[in-house]
Formats: sequence, C-alpha cells, structure tokens
Amino acid sequence: MSAGSAIALQHVSKSYRLWGRRSQFATLKSALLKRDLRPAPEAAVPALIDVSFAVHRGEAFGIIGRNGSGKSTLLKIISGILKPSSGRVAVSGRIAALIELGAGFHPEITGRENVYINGIMLGLSRREIDARFDRIIDFAGIGEFLDQPVKTYSSGMYVRLGFAVAVHVDPDILLIDEVLSVGDEEFSQKCIAKIQEMKYRGVTLVFVTHQLDQVRKLCDRALWLDHGATVAAGDPVRVVDDYLQQVAGHVAPAAPAAAPAEAPPEQGKPEPEPEKRSDPQEEERWGSGEVILKRVSLVDERGHDLVALGAGTPVTIEMDVEVRAAQEDFVFGIAIYHADGSCVYGTNTDIEGWMPQRLERNGRVRFVMPSLDLVAGQYRIDAAVHTRNGRAFDYRRNVIRFVVGSRVHDIGVYRPQHDWQFQGGIHFSPVDLLKRNVPAPMAEYIRESEEKE
Amino acid sequence: MDELRTLFRYRQLIAALTARDLKARYRGSILGFFWSLANPLMLLGVYTLVFTVFFPQQVVQPYPLFLFAGILPWSFFSAAILESSSSISGNAGLIKKVMFPAEALPIVVVLSHLVHFALAIPVLLVATGIFVILGKVTFSATILLVPVLMIVQTIFVAGLAMAISSASVLFRDLRDLITNLMTLGFFITPIIYLIDRIDSRPLRALLRVNPMTPFVIAYQDLLFFGHLPGISDTLLIVAYSLASVALGFSVFDRLRDTLAEAI
Repeated sequence: MSAGSAIALQHVSKSYRLWGRRSQFATLKSALLKRDLRPAPEAAVPALIDVSFAVHRGEAFGIIGRNGSGKSTLLKIISGILKPSSGRVAVSGRIAALIELGAGFHPEITGRENVYINGIMLGLSRREIDARFDRIIDFAGIGEFLDQPVKTYSSGMYVRLGFAVAVHVDPDILLIDEVLSVGDEEFSQKCIAKIQEMKYRGVTLVFVTHQLDQVRKLCDRALWLDHGATVAAGDPVRVVDDYLQQVAGHVAPAAPAAAPAEAPPEQGKPEPEPEKRSDPQEEERWGSGEVILKRVSLVDERGHDLVALGAGTPVTIEMDVEVRAAQEDFVFGIAIYHADGSCVYGTNTDIEGWMPQRLERNGRVRFVMPSLDLVAGQYRIDAAVHTRNGRAFDYRRNVIRFVVGSRVHDIGVYRPQHDWQFQGGIHFSPVDLLKRNVPAPMAEYIRESEEKE
Repeated sequence: MDELRTLFRYRQLIAALTARDLKARYRGSILGFFWSLANPLMLLGVYTLVFTVFFPQQVVQPYPLFLFAGILPWSFFSAAILESSSSISGNAGLIKKVMFPAEALPIVVVLSHLVHFALAIPVLLVATGIFVILGKVTFSATILLVPVLMIVQTIFVAGLAMAISSASVLFRDLRDLITNLMTLGFFITPIIYLIDRIDSRPLRALLRVNPMTPFVIAYQDLLFFGHLPGISDTLLIVAYSLASVALGFSVFDRLRDTLAEAI
C-alpha cells in the first residue's frame, strides 16, 4: 500500500456460497461426520472478480454499476463486514460505513440512548459522544422526540438520526451506500452539504450510488463495476458517460469513429491502470461519435483564436458540429474550469430551455459571452454534445485552455464589472493607471501569468 | 485468544448493549423487573405444589427453599443458552450492515440474564429469612461464596453461548434441538430431587456427566445446606468452565467469517 492510500485492494475476489434449504438437516449430521463445522456450500456465485484499486487519502471515490454488479459487496469488503475469498484489502484509518442508516437502533429505547449505543458501535467512547451530542441532535433535528422511544419515530426521523450519528463519528474514511437517496429533498441536500464539508476536511469518501449526478459532482474518481469486474475506472465524468453509453445499448465505450487528428490517442478506452491517477488537466475525449464536435475554439469578435485575454474581453466559444447520424435528442453544453479543478460555470441548451428538434446536417454552435469577467489565472473549457439524459455523442474534456491576464492582483475567479466610488471625506490620490485593467499586449499577459505559476 | 482481546476492546459496547437490553425489557411496564422474576417464581410455585401437595415426598425440608437454590442457576443457564441461539441470527441487520463484533451478541445475552439472576438473589435471601424466623433453617456464611460461583457459571454459560449462537446461524435446527434438550436437562439435573436419592449407579453416573449437575449441587451446598461444595464437584465445575470457553472460542473462530453471509 503506497503512503498516500487510504484504501488499497489487490486482486480481490469474492464468491458467495449458496446454502441449500433441503440440506439444512443433513448438514448438522454431515458436519459432525466430516469433523468440520463449516457445511459444504452447494454452489458458489462470484460477486467480485479480481478487483484492484486504491483510493487516495482525501479522495472522493464513486462506485457505479447496475444492480447486482457487486457494488455493495465491495463496500462491505472495504468495511470489513465481509471477508474477500481471495486477494488483499488494506485500509488505514477509522472507517464509518453508512450502509444502512440506523441499523442497530433499538425500537424500545429513546433516541438519546440510541445515539449513545450507535456511537459506541461506531467506535466512539462515551465521553466522545458527550462532546458531540449537541451537534448530532442539532443535525438530526428531531426536537422533542429525542426522549421518546425510537419506535415512535417516522422513518424520516429514524434515518436522520442514523445519518447524524454516523457523520459525527469523525471517520477518516466514510463509506456510503445509497443512503443519500433516502429522506426528503431538504435533508438529502443537508447530507450532501455535510459530505462535501467532510471532503474538504480531508475525509476519504467512497460512494455507491445510482445517482450518477452525485458521482459527477462529488467524486474525484469513479469505478464502474459490471458482474463483479472492473469495466472502467478514472475520471468520474468519463466513467459515468461510458456507463450511460452501455446502458443506452452501446456494447463497448467507443471513440468517435475516424476521430480528428488532434484527438489524443488513448481516447475511448477505459483507464487501464486504476492505480494511476488521471491527470485532470489532460485533454480527453469520449462519446458515441454519432455527432462530433470537429473543432472547438475560443475566438474574439472578429473570429480570431484566443489563448490569452484580459478580464472583461468579449469572447465566443465556437463548435463546428459534424452530424454522422441525424438526432432528435441533443444538447450542447460548455463548462469553464479553473486550473485548480473547480467549475467556474457550466450550462447547456437543455438547462436553458432550448428544446431540440432536428440535428440533421453539419453546422456551427456559438456560445457568445459579451464579457468574460474572470480573475487572472489559467482556465480550461469542456465542450460536449450529448442526449438529454447525459449520454455523450462527443465529450471533449479540457478541449480549450486559456489564460486570463491582469495587472491587478485581485483574487477569486469571478471579477464583477465594478467601480469604486467615494463620497464625503474619503480621499485617494489619483489612480495608478498601470494598475488598472487596461488592455496590454498579449505577450505581456502570458508572461505575467507564467511567472505566477 | 483473539476473541478475548476483541471482547475486551468492545467492553463499552457490551456494557451499553446489556444496559439497553435490560432497559428495553423493563420499559413500558412498572412490573418489568418482577416479570423477569416471574419465571423462576412460577416454576418454584408449581414444583412446590406438585411435590408437597400432590406427591408429598419428604426429600428435604423446607422444600421450597431447596427448589429455589437449584431453579435460579438453572433458569439462568437455560434462558441464556436458549436466547443466545437466536442472538446472532436475530440481529442480522447488525451483522450484515454494520461493522459489528458478532461475539458481543451472545455475551450481551448472558450478561443480561446474569443480571436477572443477581436480582433474584435478594428474593431468595428474603425467603430464607422467613424460614430463619420460622426457626427451620439458619443463615450460613457460605452464602458469601455465591458470587464467586456465579462468576464461574457465567464463564461456563458464555462459552457455550458463543458456540451455540454462531453454530445456530449455520444450523437452523439447532435451536429446536436445544429447546428439547433443555426440557430433558431440567429433569436430569438434581433440581427437584437430591442426587443421593438416586439408587441406580449408572443413572447417577449419567447425572454426573451433565455439566449443570455440579453447578446446581454447588449452589444447593452454599445456599441451602450451608457447607462448601465437595472437591470432585469443584474440580468438575472448573473443568467444565474451561472446556466450555475453549469450545466457544474455537467454534466461533471457525465460523466468524461465514456469519455475515450465511445469516
């Protein structure tokens, strides 16, 4: 296990044994005869086949796949509830597993008492629970029901209390199995916010979910399991998309056929080495190829390519669209990312209410921004054309990189158009014009921002 | 002795779960605690009735007190063993969904029944006190040794409970078997009679093989007859306890990894 891994699985396989009903009575006798207390199973069903991956400390790792693909088994193996049939599992740090919220609550005793029992089950001492008690209750929001037996709780309250205890254990590793889909909208927002907070604090997260949006939004990497085997691992947006392609009936995740020359060679193939952390800056491309974005460029008002610009410049993202098969369900989208990986802005035609009718011939899509109000730094753009449920025809990750330069060392990512105004007895000497964001030669912008890196 | 370490590590959990068990049982009924006494008291009543009114046998006097001394440890044993047989399979949620030390479950069952047993002791003392006032018996200092015997018996019961709780996950028929064995066990343990009154030598030998026999005899010695248990009974008690713990740990150890699947 490398130093940075919180979880490392090496060639983990798991078979479930089937215990026949008819042989129940025979087994006690035969077990005694064989002098082995473990009855022989009738058959073994493979649940996981040679799964290897490592989750780095502080990483959010998503596991997706259809029902019965081994996701929950994998989570249970990581948590230690199940033992692998073969292979090695190494985990470092305190684990909390949200496999079933409120498992272990006793219906006859009060919420307060259950919080203590549940906390102790999750590895806290009584004193540690005392210290967290108010936060737990506050988060759960069960009010006066705290001193009522748990059997009087609504299922929502039950789940809230279970989640509240589990996330306040302060685990190093949090395993989450589908629990975010329970409870009402408000609470599930609260859960996601809490999970994000934990992620920022450096907690390693492993998700199992069918909510692919959550994987795209929350995870740094994703793993796609099918029939117990790894199909793809790596960039979550890409893995989710490969998965959607397959669900939509496309047998293998395929690269756009006859891809344009600028496309990177490894496109379309699942990440072969799950140990390797995919470089978030790298250009990647995937999709079914029925429609492709032949050229994506960032241009100024006169149609000239831009790589560096000053804040507040008018810019347009242009996409040359090649239609290889006519479509009736299509969405064009763009997203701007900061170099640190955070999304500055993302939108698509569907979000903004453009109802697709026909995509029949080649054409051009222009996304026009009268003023790109960004703070100095490096940015990247994703462009995509996909169906409304997210299956990509052509997804081009990091297809454009550009630099925003500025002489003003303001901070953040967004620079609202603004001015300072002073009234009364507040006086400044005249503004140093050089510090103002006046247009300057491109080269200077580039040099400046390169020095900053 | 991984199990011992695990059990020690989870002692807070075991204590909390035992307290939960007791609370859950007594909550919602004012007479909660008395209900837990009802079982041995009713047994006591029934056998006193049968053997003093219907079939008067002058086994030993006062008979109810003699019965009481044997019924309490027997009830502890049989209730704990019976309940432990479903302690793991009845908590499937914990075993499958939570990282939970399965060995804690039978131990919790044993400890909560030990508490019931301990709470019944004062009742026994009151009953003894009544007979002392009536001038039929006297208090004996050997009563002070009862807690020691209870601890040893707890170890004995815990070992068996661990073996049975895990084995009954794989062999669902074990519980039915145990229920019937307990009925038989009650009669082949010298609770309602004195072992010395059994004439048949082989039968006495059979009774000696029953591991609960030396325990019950020792309780009767300490509580009723007011003398120390014999050497052979004491040795048997220690031997059975050690064997039971060894059995419990080894069975549990072999089955632990299959529990979460087979449950």
